[in-house]
Amino acid sequence: MTPLQRAWGAYVRLTARWPAIASIIPFVPLIVLWWAVVELGVFPRVFLPGPADVARSFADLVYKGILPEYLQDSVVRLGVGAFWGIALGIPLGILIGISQRAHTVLWPLLLFFQAIGDIAWLPILVIWFGYGLVTMTFVIVYTVIFPVVLNTVLGVRSIPIAMHRAALSLGASRARILWEVVLPGALPNIVTGLRNGLGYGWRALIAAEIIVGTSGIGFLMFDARRAGSVVEILLGMIILGILWYIVDSWILAPIERATGQRWGLVTR
Amino acid sequence: MRFRHRLFAALAFIAPFAVLFVLWAVLIPYFDVNPRLFPHLTAVIQAAVEGIQDGSLIGHIGASLVRVLVGTALALLAAIPLGIAMGVSPVVSSFLTPLFRFFSVLAGIAWIPIATLWFGYGFGAITFVIFNAVFFIVTYNTLLGVSTIPLQVRNAAASLGAGRWSMLTEVLLPGALPNIVTGIRTGLGFAWRGLIAAEMIATNAGLGYMLFVARDFYRTEVIVLGMIVIGVLWLLLDRLVLAPLERATIVRWGMVQPA
Repeated sequence: MTPLQRAWGAYVRLTARWPAIASIIPFVPLIVLWWAVVELGVFPRVFLPGPADVARSFADLVYKGILPEYLQDSVVRLGVGAFWGIALGIPLGILIGISQRAHTVLWPLLLFFQAIGDIAWLPILVIWFGYGLVTMTFVIVYTVIFPVVLNTVLGVRSIPIAMHRAALSLGASRARILWEVVLPGALPNIVTGLRNGLGYGWRALIAAEIIVGTSGIGFLMFDARRAGSVVEILLGMIILGILWYIVDSWILAPIERATGQRWGLVTR
Repeated sequence: MRFRHRLFAALAFIAPFAVLFVLWAVLIPYFDVNPRLFPHLTAVIQAAVEGIQDGSLIGHIGASLVRVLVGTALALLAAIPLGIAMGVSPVVSSFLTPLFRFFSVLAGIAWIPIATLWFGYGFGAITFVIFNAVFFIVTYNTLLGVSTIPLQVRNAAASLGAGRWSMLTEVLLPGALPNIVTGIRTGLGFAWRGLIAAEMIATNAGLGYMLFVARDFYRTEVIVLGMIVIGVLWLLLDRLVLAPLERATIVRWGMVQPA
């Protein structure tokens, strides 16, 4: 066994015990590489500042209280948007999934409006609502709602018809079928849709903040771009990445796994 | 018979849009909506005719499509070989997976500020944004695709005397292809959005630019026209190119069962 193999073995054992480490360690060589490239002066420092500069700017912005406030703004916007996206999307998806008539009428429209894409709405939204929370919320709701609706429809339609009939012949009312057959059966797909939707919604938020924002992480980056400060842009990108990584792999993915297993109507 | 069935399906798809257009044509004049808030249907049609006649609409569409094409082609050329090379070794792929997940999260829009700083406003910055949107997602999916090929299949090929080249072209590439194509479809979705956003900020041609300039003059008919064009273009790209490609790879390179 070479020392390299032994080190790898130790790493594997370590990550088996604390899986979170496996998603942190790979960044160490990258940061070292980044540091080395900066120190060797391959690019001018103005264009590519080092890790230490970014860390210093992080501490500075936290100390001034700008960063926590912007972060809160972004997360609240995403939360409000996601809430309305879910609140509107799931009922709409169930309606389209259950009723053939609603499907015929609404499905083509859904596909088309999804294709327009959130960002293309920004100019006209600014005319309608001005620069502010309504515009942002609209964009995020618009982004979140389509994956949720499309996946809910998919989930509702994938429930075997035998389930409906079994529940009906056992004397279930329509409301109970909805609550105990349709909703649980579609839940794994709904969660998948939510995960996709939030992924798109997150990016839409950044775009909205860059283009029409007055606060938030996207605005931080764009403001830094105006001032020509690469440090803060890099900081913004890193925060975005980390935040979404946490939300996605520590909150959404476990929910997705849990619903997939627990409401065992769907076999994988 | 089959033809009539398809014709009927197409009509059923178009009918809701026809209703929407009629509502638009009737309701907006009826309620006397200010054209600065929402345009009349006739104004949008007029804007489309003018745009086609003086060539500006075609120019914007062309500029946007060329950018997507160049950025995507460059990204695919780099991403697929890299993804396969990393996916072959389970050690390398399991180590690098978090890195590529991290960067695929940043895909597209988050790169706009730094891209414009590094490359200035123009073609370079936008191509860079599209490249990033496609590159990381496709590399990640290729990596995933190669590393999920069952080891028996690779061992079987090796014990039947497959060389490195035939291993690559007959096992690894076909096995990863469904994932690669899914990655391309997702990546292009992000790239398209990133393109529109980048064009709003960083250039003087393209559909995003057309929308954003129209906003300055409250020309809602141009904005709505642009939105319709963006929607139709993406729908065509997704339905006529990407979705058939995805279906074909999943069925034809039958290593993965169709879902």
